[in-house]
Amino acid sequence: MSYAYLFKYIIIGDTGVGKSCLLLQFTDKRFQPVHDLTIGVEFGARMITIDNKPIKLQIWDTAGQESFRSITRSYYRGAAGALLVYDITRRETFNHLASWLEDARQHANANMTIMLIGNKCDLAHRRAVSTEEGEQFAKEHGLIFMEASAKTAQNVEEAFIKTAATIYKKIQDGVFDVSNESYGIKVGYGGIPGPSGGRDGGSAQAGGCCS
Amino acid sequence: MIKGMVGLVFGNDNSGSNEDSYVERLLDRISNGVLPDDRRNAMAELQSVVAESRGAQLAFGAMGFPVLMGVLKEERDDVEMIRGALETLVSALTPIDHAKGPQNEVQPALMNTDLLSREAENISLLLSLLSEEDFYVRYYTLQILTALLTNSQNRLQEAILTIPRGITRLMDMLMDREVIRNEALLLLTHLTREAEEIQKILVFEGAFEKIFSIIKEEGGSEGGVVVQDSYNHELFLACFLLMLSTALVEKWTEDCLELLNNLLRNNASNQVLLRETLGFDAIISILKLRGSAYSFTQQKTINLLSALETINLLLMGGSESDPGKDMNKLTNRTVLVQNKVFDYLLLLGVESQWAPIPVRCAALRCIGDLIVGHPKNLDTLASKVLGEQPQVEPALNSILRIILRTSSVQEFIEADHVFKSFCERNSDGQTMLASTLIPQPYSMTHAPIEEDVRMSFGSMLLHGLTLGESDGDLETCCRAASVLSHILRDNIQCKERVLRIELESPTPSLGAPEPLMHRMVKYLALASNMKNKDGKTSTKENSYVQPIILKLLVTWLADCPNAIQCFLASRPHLTYLLELVSNPSATMCIRGLGAVLLGECVIYNKSGESGKDAFTVVDAISQKIGLTSYFLKFDEMMKSFLFSSVKPTKLHKPLTRSAAASMAEIDDVDEQDSSDHKNEDHPILSSLFDSHFVNFVKSLEGNIRETIVDVYSRPKSEVAVVPAELELKRGESDKDYVERLKSFVQKQCSEIQNLLGRNATLAENLAKTGGSVSSQPEQRTSGGVDRVQAETLRRDLQEASQRIEMLKAEKAKIESEASMYQNLAGKMESDLKSLSDAYNSLEQANFHLEKEVKALKSGGASTPPDVEAIRAEAREEAQKESEAELNDLLVCLGQEQSRVEKLSARLMELGEDVDKLLEGVGDDMGLLPEDSEKEEE
Repeated sequence: MSYAYLFKYIIIGDTGVGKSCLLLQFTDKRFQPVHDLTIGVEFGARMITIDNKPIKLQIWDTAGQESFRSITRSYYRGAAGALLVYDITRRETFNHLASWLEDARQHANANMTIMLIGNKCDLAHRRAVSTEEGEQFAKEHGLIFMEASAKTAQNVEEAFIKTAATIYKKIQDGVFDVSNESYGIKVGYGGIPGPSGGRDGGSAQAGGCCS
Repeated sequence: MIKGMVGLVFGNDNSGSNEDSYVERLLDRISNGVLPDDRRNAMAELQSVVAESRGAQLAFGAMGFPVLMGVLKEERDDVEMIRGALETLVSALTPIDHAKGPQNEVQPALMNTDLLSREAENISLLLSLLSEEDFYVRYYTLQILTALLTNSQNRLQEAILTIPRGITRLMDMLMDREVIRNEALLLLTHLTREAEEIQKILVFEGAFEKIFSIIKEEGGSEGGVVVQDSYNHELFLACFLLMLSTALVEKWTEDCLELLNNLLRNNASNQVLLRETLGFDAIISILKLRGSAYSFTQQKTINLLSALETINLLLMGGSESDPGKDMNKLTNRTVLVQNKVFDYLLLLGVESQWAPIPVRCAALRCIGDLIVGHPKNLDTLASKVLGEQPQVEPALNSILRIILRTSSVQEFIEADHVFKSFCERNSDGQTMLASTLIPQPYSMTHAPIEEDVRMSFGSMLLHGLTLGESDGDLETCCRAASVLSHILRDNIQCKERVLRIELESPTPSLGAPEPLMHRMVKYLALASNMKNKDGKTSTKENSYVQPIILKLLVTWLADCPNAIQCFLASRPHLTYLLELVSNPSATMCIRGLGAVLLGECVIYNKSGESGKDAFTVVDAISQKIGLTSYFLKFDEMMKSFLFSSVKPTKLHKPLTRSAAASMAEIDDVDEQDSSDHKNEDHPILSSLFDSHFVNFVKSLEGNIRETIVDVYSRPKSEVAVVPAELELKRGESDKDYVERLKSFVQKQCSEIQNLLGRNATLAENLAKTGGSVSSQPEQRTSGGVDRVQAETLRRDLQEASQRIEMLKAEKAKIESEASMYQNLAGKMESDLKSLSDAYNSLEQANFHLEKEVKALKSGGASTPPDVEAIRAEAREEAQKESEAELNDLLVCLGQEQSRVEKLSARLMELGEDVDKLLEGVGDDMGLLPEDSEKEEE
């Protein structure tokens, strides 16, 4: 259970763009062609390694439907990272990105790292949004961009890890006050660099660094 | 203080109009007053009047909210005004206990919460006040929100969800100083009740971490020391802190656990998060007995119960509709056991002699739920040993000892649940337990109870089964029987094995060893006798002994022909069972189970031995009980509380704060239960008769009905009619054939007799049920029987004579066949005779011919007659030929002549002299026939 940092992610975007499938591919390494509509939010977790440090990702997959917006907005503020997902075969999901972004800017903390993901890139023959358009949008709004496929797992790991790496770099650069958990970042037991920072030494020094 | 004075003046004044106008005046001063002091005083007056009078609360509700909300919105800078307004609101929402007031009167406080919560804007305004610097502002605001939540839970939950950062604000209160924190804990506990989305947001906001850090601060289950609040320069706070006793501080752990339980209840997502992020260590460590292991204060008990409830919630997994529920449940159980939860549970539930019974029970229940259907956990529990060297023993033995010895029925049920869970779908485990069941010498099974630490599981169980022998107390026996029934369930090997166990009789000189099963039947009988003897007083206590032993027997006999053989081996068993089923003083459940047992003797009976076969049992049932009333026992039982009540696999009432408290207060839960069940069966039976058993019995019922109908409708195999067998067999003499048919007819006759007998009983039964209204049912039915019997005999006779007729006809047919063959033979004989005649005549003819040949040979070769004959022949032929030729010539001549005539006529016409022309021709013509004749020769 020990980790250097814990990052909270949210996954947002229109309904049906494959948010839950991306999460399932990332946490369970499997693809489910037919996924139930997400109600409210669902939770998933995975450990990754960045810069040789174990990092725990807590991911909240939100419902894309408008009726759940008021619930899902509650998750923006405390998240360190957001995956904003659209479907490259459905133009309207791309067109809605601006309103999602506005929502995020309004409710999230300013330092939230946002990764733009054009999902379903395996369906190239049905493509309705070009890669360049995605890149252009990301550039304009200061987002990281990647096209991915929850079905083939292409770029799924990369998307989550690249987001984490960006957050990690921001921490190194001193952008965050990591003692303030409201940014969606938590320092774990193994997080304080030092000779004793072993994985299992954590519980022994439990009282020290965590409160 | 003004408060008291106003109370004196107005508090008990019930005249509504007075209060209305007073409240109105105060509100007017607040909204329109110019002097700040005057407005503050008005607010204080308003607060005190609203706090003390229902009428004022009512009046305030009618007009006050807009005014006070205005104050809260506009006058943030005036802390005193804000405090006053909030305190007034608290008072307006707090019910005033009016003992003398009529029950159905409108509760102004309730009405006010409704009014206030209606406007989502109000909630938003209140939440914004939580960011205020002033302690009292936050404190009162939380109180208001809690009051609103208690009365309009759903509305407030919805409102808070729609307010951005609403829940975050409330969560932040957990990091506030203790008084606020505890108020916030209470509020969040209300807020999270049955609101999945709110539960998830709370967890997103780090609720788990906060809860566990508060618990750690407070010292886990033990409770903790009061942490002095440094903010004590205010008089109010000082008073408040004085009120806090140590117990109150310990209570915070309880509040934390209640919130924790709300977050985990039916919420798989949150369970996964706890498991994947913090792990279960934190919750398991609350179960650790810190400090004194001997003293269990009430608060410590409540905290332990809450922590055990947390374990229980994790064991139950997510909500019923969640598709991943089972997966999550399984993982939870695996992780809990990996985190050594068994050690703590066994310590609480089994080893600690000082833990209160409710704690022990809850721990045992968790142990049972951890292992059921989880092979790895089953193995882990099976390998656990308790105690210290050299006095170690398997944990399962210790749990068995609890079953046998505890004075708490509830504890028995929970420990029994462990064995039930252990044996479920675990035939290896069953076999392991059964393997230690070895027949013991009498001295061993009746060893003093203190020596049982060294006993094997089987010895202890057998000891328990037979303990009642000496002191007539069957309580221990029936508890052991319950354990045994788990070991035997659906496991034919174990059933067979236990069948072989024989017990020495209590006084070895009297009688041979008897099978364990027979001993159990004996105790079953003994239990009912005891009840009869002791009368009412012990009825309650023993009313579950018989059902439990019956459950054992029903489980044992299921699908096990050998067990039925063993049961029926002693004739009185069947008789006793029949009596039990029709015993009016037995409960419906006992009679029903007895009926089930009888039914099993029919459907699983493979015996062909007369007197022990299914036919015998069916006959006995229909004669002694009557089929209608036999099946009625099933119906009655199914309708009884035990079987009809909707039973999920487990009955779990959510453990709320008050439930936990009441559990901790009373010694034994079932004592309370037993009083409020009005059914005749002991309440513990509803725990022991789990859904598996109930469903099994229900399924048996249908099976039994079918089999009994089958027994009645199908003849025994020996009289089954096979058409081929009725025919004459090859090489069988008529006599044998007739003999065989006769014996067959005899068998059928007797079977018909049996069937008619059953038919008569059935008819009698039918008559009895049909004529139950009649004034003289006895006579009527006996008349019926006579008539039925006479009819039976008559039909019998008729049947037999019909048979004989048929045989006669058959015989005649064969005879006619024989004569036909005889005729055939005669005909053949005559044919043969004529044939031989023909032969003779042929022979004779041959003889003549031979003689002739001889004669001819002896007469030599004389040709002249031949020449003569040939000559004659030739002549004849020539004559014939010439005749034919002559004829031909004559025809030709005729034709020529007519031709000549025609030509002559023509010539004459032409004027030729025909005669002249013909002179020469006439000669030629005369020669011609001769030439042709010559040519032909």
